Amino acid sequence: MAELADNKLDGAVAAEVRAHMDGCEACRQEFALLVPLLSALDALPAPVPSQGLRAKVMGHIESEKLTLRKEFQWASSIRAAARTQPVPGPSWVRVLVGALGVTTLVVLGFVLGERTATQRQLADLRVRVDTMGQLVEQSVLQKRTAGDRLETVLTAARTTKPDERVIDGLINSLAFDPSINVRLNALSALYGHADQEVVRAGVLACLPRESNALVQISMIDFLVASRAREAAPELRKLSLDTKADNDVRDSARRAIDLL
Amino acid sequence: MDTTSPTSDHDLMLAVRDGDLDCMGELFERHHGPLFGYLAKLTGNRAAAEDIAQVVFQRMLKYRHTYRDEGKFTAWMYHLARRCASDHFRKASSAPLAVDPSDLEDHADDSQAADQSALASDDHELLRKALGRLDRDDREVLLLSRLQELSFAEVASVLECSVGAARVRAHRALKALRDHYFRIQKENLS
Repeated sequence: MAELADNKLDGAVAAEVRAHMDGCEACRQEFALLVPLLSALDALPAPVPSQGLRAKVMGHIESEKLTLRKEFQWASSIRAAARTQPVPGPSWVRVLVGALGVTTLVVLGFVLGERTATQRQLADLRVRVDTMGQLVEQSVLQKRTAGDRLETVLTAARTTKPDERVIDGLINSLAFDPSINVRLNALSALYGHADQEVVRAGVLACLPRESNALVQISMIDFLVASRAREAAPELRKLSLDTKADNDVRDSARRAIDLL
Repeated sequence: MDTTSPTSDHDLMLAVRDGDLDCMGELFERHHGPLFGYLAKLTGNRAAAEDIAQVVFQRMLKYRHTYRDEGKFTAWMYHLARRCASDHFRKASSAPLAVDPSDLEDHADDSQAADQSALASDDHELLRKALGRLDRDDREVLLLSRLQELSFAEVASVLECSVGAARVRAHRALKALRDHYFRIQKENLS
């Protein structure tokens, strides 16, 4: 009847209802009562929120933008580092080098030079991780409950075709989140994307910052599973670190052998 | 709301999902009034309605990655609002307060003659009281279908029921409102 009063019924149905009402006193009465009620309901003034609501929501949007910008800057630095990783040169270069009789020492120097460049990039990332970590931990991240953050990570993990932002978000959670559970779930979600250079570089950059043995071992397992040979120097360092947990050092040693 | 123009709610929300958070400001401007109205009438409490509306926009930002391409923005927003309101009622661990007319300011049209205003105001008060006496479920379906002007397909999506069930619930709620309305009217006369 409400739809009839609002002229929302299509012609045939409306005609049918009207035909029924013509012969039904009860329905006619109900309709007569309903029409003014609906008019009154539609005319009910809408309450207006205070300006405080706008200020709070806009403030939250700005805060979220700030977090996004910080996260993006950090994640994009990992992405940029991953993109500039040394790639094997074409075979003709190697043939040419051999033909020119370049000494083993020069080749070794080249390899060491590249490794140093990679290590420099990773060192730079670690500094960024520490600086950004402090900033993020002190700001918005702390205002959300661990349950909420875990839910966000699990939602990201369920995304079938995650874009760069989702991957970056997972790496950021692994790097910055104060909850072990959230970090472990972020790492678990990254397994499906271990073929991406940025993911391996991200996990590797997070490893030296990680203080929890369980997460450290999980990260080592991840690096082994993704065959991240570039992790060997960091793993060697960890295996020799006397301050590290014994299980972590054992895991690092095993990982070096496997890699 | 239009979903085909370049600045439709849907397009704005997709832009938010893709990282353009400024578009959330535009969505706020478009929808915070009706959303607040819905929550104020649902809870009967202005302060609670403002708190819940704030949480709804926060959750929209937080769960922006879950917004689907085929989704309808208003249905998604009211779906979140419904959940936020449920959280509120659970935390308050009590049924919502009956609507108190003093909580909901009157905004009568200034151009109306004084006597007409007074009449309209009385009628509004009567109706608010009747709304306040409805069960929360009835009030919810009525607010969504009538005052927020959602289609029954959208109401069904918000309430997670079939379109037919949404229609039946709205019809029942309207009947209940009518009964309360005339009962209160009779009480006032006697």
